Amino acid sequence: MRLGVVFVSLGLIFGGFFALMGGAYALGGVVEDFGRTHGVSGLASLTNILILMLMIVMVFATLLTLAERKWSAFMQDRVGPNRARFPGLPNASLAGIPHIVTDVFKMLTKEAFRPKNASKVLFALGPMLAFAPVFALFAVVPAGPTLKIFDHPVMMVSTNLDFGLLYLFAIASLAVYGTSLAGWASNNKFALLGGVRASSQMISYEVALGLSLVGMMIAFSTVKLAGPDGMSEMQMQYLWSTRVGSFDLGLPAWGIFIQPLGFLLFFAAAFAETKRAPFDSPEGESEIVGYFLEYSGMQFGMFMIAEFVEVVVLGGVIVAIFFGGWSLPFGNEWLMNLAVMKQYPILLGAIYGTVFWGKTLLLVYLQMVIRWTMPRFRYDQIQKLGWQILLPVGLANLFVSGALILWDPSLRALALFGFFVIGVFAFLTLTPPKQVRQEQEAADDHHGGHGHAAPAPHDDHAALPASTH
Amino acid sequence: MAAAGDEYDPTPSEHELEAHLQTRNMVVNLGPSHPATHGTVRLRIELDGETIVKMDTEIGFLHRGFQKSCESVTWTQVLPYTDRLDYVAALQNNFGYLSAVETLMGIDIPERAKYIRVIGAELHRIASHLTTAGALALELGGFSAFLYAMEARELITDRVTELTGARLTTSYGRIGGLNRDLPDGWKEKVMKSIVKIEEVAAEMDTLLSRNRIFTDRTKGTGVITADDALDFGFTGPALRACGVSYDVRKAQPYWAYDKLDFTVPTGNNGDNFDRYYMRMLEIPESLKMIKQCFAQMPEGPVMIDDWRIALPPKENVYNSIEGVIAHFKLVMEGVPVPDGEVYHCTESPNGELGWYLRSDGSGRPYKCHVRAPGYQILSGLGRLCEGRMLADLVPTFDTINMIGGEVEQ
Repeated sequence: MRLGVVFVSLGLIFGGFFALMGGAYALGGVVEDFGRTHGVSGLASLTNILILMLMIVMVFATLLTLAERKWSAFMQDRVGPNRARFPGLPNASLAGIPHIVTDVFKMLTKEAFRPKNASKVLFALGPMLAFAPVFALFAVVPAGPTLKIFDHPVMMVSTNLDFGLLYLFAIASLAVYGTSLAGWASNNKFALLGGVRASSQMISYEVALGLSLVGMMIAFSTVKLAGPDGMSEMQMQYLWSTRVGSFDLGLPAWGIFIQPLGFLLFFAAAFAETKRAPFDSPEGESEIVGYFLEYSGMQFGMFMIAEFVEVVVLGGVIVAIFFGGWSLPFGNEWLMNLAVMKQYPILLGAIYGTVFWGKTLLLVYLQMVIRWTMPRFRYDQIQKLGWQILLPVGLANLFVSGALILWDPSLRALALFGFFVIGVFAFLTLTPPKQVRQEQEAADDHHGGHGHAAPAPHDDHAALPASTH
Repeated sequence: MAAAGDEYDPTPSEHELEAHLQTRNMVVNLGPSHPATHGTVRLRIELDGETIVKMDTEIGFLHRGFQKSCESVTWTQVLPYTDRLDYVAALQNNFGYLSAVETLMGIDIPERAKYIRVIGAELHRIASHLTTAGALALELGGFSAFLYAMEARELITDRVTELTGARLTTSYGRIGGLNRDLPDGWKEKVMKSIVKIEEVAAEMDTLLSRNRIFTDRTKGTGVITADDALDFGFTGPALRACGVSYDVRKAQPYWAYDKLDFTVPTGNNGDNFDRYYMRMLEIPESLKMIKQCFAQMPEGPVMIDDWRIALPPKENVYNSIEGVIAHFKLVMEGVPVPDGEVYHCTESPNGELGWYLRSDGSGRPYKCHVRAPGYQILSGLGRLCEGRMLADLVPTFDTINMIGGEVEQ
């Protein structure tokens, strides 16, 4: 029963992606055609904003509000939300879907409370400043290939900036204003603590965030994300390849293969930027409640939905930078050269768009599993992790990668190094930690003695961040 | 530069001229209603940034007048009040109180009742430890481990419901033994539940005890030395975590504990992790004890055969004059507890649960004082937290496991 629901909803989700992306290409083509006949080009960007950002990302984020609760319930042997009903269907919980609607209504109808001594303007500005930047991040992420539709090229990205990655960094750092302002303007000590924690955390992790991507920038010598010369599409090239008939097979130059360390660092740092567990000490609901303590109603809803949008956008960004964007791991050439695809480019676009969103979905799921498994770091441990582990490892990664790219511009040496790193991580994950080994030895030494062996020294931090994730 | 020993250098040093920012410490109130303060307690904290400079613990929000209430009811009627002390492990309080009254009266209860008391007490010890360990995970943001613990605790609650008829306020046992024997098939159900609880405890152990973030958060925080802990009057897992092997079950065995084979784990760091780990290690020991009890438990009565203490069977009440009189006197006057006083203690999940009872022979307690283990441990909270970070307060507050009900009475 439960499995059936999962399959049906997965089918619905992928069908939805397929239809939406097909629609996006068709609409983009029509609008572009209309614009070109009137002497304006690039109108498709507008439809992309409409469909990619307002429709897919927003709906994705809204669905996540339910998906997170359902998934956490699944992990914790609970049923999860199932109380809300649609009028007319009194006996169908519909897997909790009505909760999406009721949540929105709850948020909208609640009083937007403002503490007496709170700063009016800043208090109102906080949620907006928290929401807008994360939403704007998605503008440079390509969700599909550039295709010729109605004789005009249509790009599946809101705006193709030459400085794509730099735009990401710039906008991501704006998000800190929303949270720190919210904490400050609330005139509440707990909120202030949360705001201070959030700002210090976000500012320190920006360094690691930027550093972790430099390896990818050198590897493809670009900071552009979309387009044929962008990072996302260049990952389609093969490191090693063969052909089976007309089907091409091989290992693509995906970021995860050539820069696994960069991926881990970026993932950890981006996680800290999104302020979700294990980096949720700015919220820390059991200690200081969080920087949005005084917000209620839809103003709080803005913070909450911003968090979910962040999850989706982060998934999309990681897919674009490290998982080959919208491309399949192999068979891209074969697929593009099929007669039916040449005839109906919209179909090709819809397929690739679905691939992109499927990968994003996978990463969103990964973030959710981590969020519901890991306890929270302490404030100073977060700083330590950022400055003492992520930063040096990022620097080392940068130097090694730079040298390897200089030595072998075909990136093959870099990929071999990447495999070595993946192997090291796999080894570290599979071997039991020191503490377990000590306990096993202690158990072998004296059976039935007092159970508690001397705990390992407290400062035995492993050199690699993987042990903490 | 001033020469060494020159105290009259008129040139002020740079340090003296520096314009320091005027800073003040921030005072925040954690509680009385705060997500981290289970139970109602106010923590007034003076913060320097994120560091706790000074901390005052203020209790009294849950005061119910336990002692005064006890003085106006018979010795048996005190029992329901004891449920509300440590409501996570109500059986421990029930049996502890009964044990104290029996010591004061100088009576011995049947062997079978002793074993059942051990089983009940150990079941609730596991429930309490699971709650504490789970809540610790919850405070640190690991919600899943908490719910796993609750799942196992729910099993125990179900078994306790079958035994006593209530989920939390058990009021089980009477002076002189127990008011009813084990239900049919209860033993088998408990043995099956034990298998499940072992699984869950092992799962929690793997989720938490070796989780890098969890150990980083708990090891080395909330540290107290054995001497300080003894000075504050710590008992139970909080004291044993410091390396002092003191357990009432071993020090002065009561009920059937002297016939059971179990070990008392001790730690050596006195930090949050050790307090947590003591509890995780005690869970298997308790399960072991329950199994032994079922194996050793004799058949026989569960209530003392003395109509001055135990209610006579109903057919005697209806059909014989002696039965009616005994029933009337027991209900109206209560159990005749002789003039005198006693201090008796049992090992509750949080430590030494002591009862100081004073009787003037009137059938009602003249004085009934509880030494709740949480009270002494809570008084040491300031020592555990001052100079530490605010974020460390939350796990520390959890591992000392303050139960509002018993601390404030």
